[in-house]
Amino acid sequence: MITRDERSAVLAAGLEAAQGELLQCASWGDVWRYASSLTNETPTVSPAAYEHLQQGDLPDVNDPLRSIADRAVGITQAELAIAETGSVLLIEPSPRDRAVSLLTKHLIVAVSEGDIIEELADGFRWLARQPRAASYATFVTGPSRTADIERSLTIGVQGPSRLTVAVLA
Amino acid sequence: MSASTAPFKVRYRRSVGDPDLKPRLLDFQRSWRESRDAQVRRLEQRTERSFGELRRDFAAVKDSTLERLDDYIAEFRAQAEAAGATVIELSSAAEAVDYIAGVCKSRGIELVVKSKSMVSEEIELNHELERRGITAIETDLGEWLLQLAEERPSHLVMPAIHQKRQYVAEILGEELGREFDPDDIPAMVASARDGLRGHYLSAGAGLTGANALVAETGSIMVVTNEGNMRLATSLPDVHFVTAGIEKLIPTWADAERQLQLLPRSATAQTLSTYTTCITGAQPGKEMHIILLDNGRRAMRETGTIGDALRCIRCGACANVCPPYQIVGGHTFGHIYTGAIGLVNTSFHHGIEEAAGPQGLCVSCGACQTVCPVDIPLPKQILEVRHRAHESGHAPLWEQIALRLWAKPRLFRHLMGLAAVGSGIARLVGLVHRDHLRLPMPKRLRWRSVPALPLRSGQTLVKSRPPQRPWPNSPSTGQTVDLFAQCLADRLLPTAVDSAASLIEAGGASVNLPDSQHCCGLPAFDAGDWETARRMAKHTIEALEGSERQIVTPAPSCVISMQDHWPRLFDHDLEWRDRAAAVSERVHDLAEWLEGPGRLPNGCLSKGSRKAWTAHRFCQASNRNDAGARIDQLVERLTSESANPLQEPDVCCGFGGLTSLAAPEVGEGILERKLACVAESGCDTLITNNPGCVIHLRAGANASGASHQTLHYADFLAARLPKDP
Ligand code: SF4
Ligand code: SF4
Repeated sequence: MITRDERSAVLAAGLEAAQGELLQCASWGDVWRYASSLTNETPTVSPAAYEHLQQGDLPDVNDPLRSIADRAVGITQAELAIAETGSVLLIEPSPRDRAVSLLTKHLIVAVSEGDIIEELADGFRWLARQPRAASYATFVTGPSRTADIERSLTIGVQGPSRLTVAVLA
Repeated sequence: MSASTAPFKVRYRRSVGDPDLKPRLLDFQRSWRESRDAQVRRLEQRTERSFGELRRDFAAVKDSTLERLDDYIAEFRAQAEAAGATVIELSSAAEAVDYIAGVCKSRGIELVVKSKSMVSEEIELNHELERRGITAIETDLGEWLLQLAEERPSHLVMPAIHQKRQYVAEILGEELGREFDPDDIPAMVASARDGLRGHYLSAGAGLTGANALVAETGSIMVVTNEGNMRLATSLPDVHFVTAGIEKLIPTWADAERQLQLLPRSATAQTLSTYTTCITGAQPGKEMHIILLDNGRRAMRETGTIGDALRCIRCGACANVCPPYQIVGGHTFGHIYTGAIGLVNTSFHHGIEEAAGPQGLCVSCGACQTVCPVDIPLPKQILEVRHRAHESGHAPLWEQIALRLWAKPRLFRHLMGLAAVGSGIARLVGLVHRDHLRLPMPKRLRWRSVPALPLRSGQTLVKSRPPQRPWPNSPSTGQTVDLFAQCLADRLLPTAVDSAASLIEAGGASVNLPDSQHCCGLPAFDAGDWETARRMAKHTIEALEGSERQIVTPAPSCVISMQDHWPRLFDHDLEWRDRAAAVSERVHDLAEWLEGPGRLPNGCLSKGSRKAWTAHRFCQASNRNDAGARIDQLVERLTSESANPLQEPDVCCGFGGLTSLAAPEVGEGILERKLACVAESGCDTLITNNPGCVIHLRAGANASGASHQTLHYADFLAARLPKDP
């Protein structure tokens, strides 16, 4: 077992290896301030993040994906972060839950420090216990990428091109 | 007809005619190897378990699942259906296409967006839907580029690895109606977003594959990097999943085990960007999970080949495959590429499609060493090759050559004639550095033809007094049977003689069993098991009826006797036992010199410093044979260290009949090897299998390389004390 501090450090290293970044935040307010500092637009927020923030542009109820397509910054919330791999686990049953993580250019994923777990195996243990295995779950590890043209690694293809994991103390 | 769907011969000619393919794939293989090895090392450290143990564990999960496949399918179905999905088991490609088309028609769906799915490639879904008036659009960047170019994937994980960026710029320009700068890859990548966005929004269905089907919750797990799979399953109202029945695993804990191995083996990532787990249909939407058989149960029934169902489609087997590096996946495989493609194609697409590339495999064994589920691919390829041979797919010249080879007396006469011919050529000045100067067709000029020495290896041994043994040698008093190997005996006789001297130096005396010829390996390799059996029986008869240990300078014959004979006599108990009684006494010379006939440390040290390096016979290395690391043996005996050689265990390109049947493959692999040898700065290259010596020597002769190539027995025996 490793300590909380060590877990954050391992998570930061994992994220870095996956071209993501880690941001320490004292509160959701910090996350919002960071997001707002990145853009002149209002940041978009997933329904889960909205619960905490009570502000930001939510995906449209009837046409969630189109309403978010190519917005500059989005905030969502993860159930867990996996230190070992630098991943976050998103539970997003509906397309509206997913819109922000699918289509914003810079995605900020907030996770409580207490929800950082050590290994991927723990993440799957958690997932297996959820009803209907939480229906649509994604372990996200860094921003989207491809190496399909001459193996040249290009970050940001059809999903976000930047990923920040905001760890809430 | 596009480059990837033409007949095999056309594909072969095209791929060897592409000057860019080889260097690009070489670069890819080397950089993959480096990052994959680093990933695996880290995994081993973290888990405190070896790669061997980790893969054995996961392979055991796959095996036990396959054993009770119907139970797991039932569990998966019950769970997935309870979550609102429709699960349907289909037995053929046609049924799968019909089912998908039927659902589309009844829902009025005209456009399907696809994320990467090898099963959909397997059933040639795009083409078949097109014929039924339904458009399928690939959304994975690589797959989309292939679709635009009307090509098939040339790699399981990097489908468009054969495409040059200039070509990509061209096809994108055509599709999107604007110019692309070939050097601006990010701009080309970004165009996928624009080019595909509209399709997502108007598609009626999304189709994905599945890396795993998790029985305990009825979930699919899909591993991707681009984010397209999540889009394709979020916008349209219908989600099709196409997956082979072998993708079932019992639990999420097993899924995690699979993920330890899959991304590391596939793209050398710790984890891919997206690991998406979907359980059941989303509210207001449909999910159809198609579990496809298409030859898989038949594979399961086929002893050796059944293990191939463990495959997790990581592509690693192509990434270490020397002939794949030369010809790429359009030639080395059919729709499935790399080693696994040589195995499973005959079950999914028929023996006709499988037969062409069979002869390209050099049986080096590299693929199995990196396969994360330890599939015995080289063994399976030989099995498929055998089936191809049985169904009449062997070239005539090969059949004739093997028949001649199989007759010991005829072989001896022909070789005798060739030796006399070589002698005459020597007299008239047609021999240069032991190779004939003959006018050769261009395809074959990369390798000179060795001139045959007049005397065979066995004659050399018999015509000299025995080597004086080292005092107190462990094998003193023993008599050892020397199996010369047919090839070495005639083409590399000094190695046979040197082997005998080294055995004698270790204390044993050497006996040469009469009428020994060939263990049957060339015929076995060619899939002609009938001829191989005849040759093996001849060798068994020559070697049986004694308790003596048998030593050979040819590790390939050891492998043939120990691995292939049991397969040849699988159904013949009498001969199986007789074969085993011989093969359990057989030793590779290097193993003998380290073991029973051990020579003392430094006994062949001469004080002189030769710049030498060692190529290790790939099959023995990849099989982890005791004597495979000849550099260590030679260092121990001579107290001289080898010059480092890059890729010492990668095949040299001899590959038995491959270098005759597909000369460009032999040439390309040899070039890779000789470049490493040149870089080592050695003036002597040693190696352990006679075939490799002959091949490497003939190649060096043709290319004018200055180093000398020796069997290590010759290198060592030259340092033995001469009798006064
Ligand atoms: S044995 Fe060697 S040549 Fe044959 S498929 Fe495997 S890696 Fe390729
Ligand atoms: S055979 Fe093994 S190495 Fe090849 S793709 Fe399948 S799992 Fe990977």
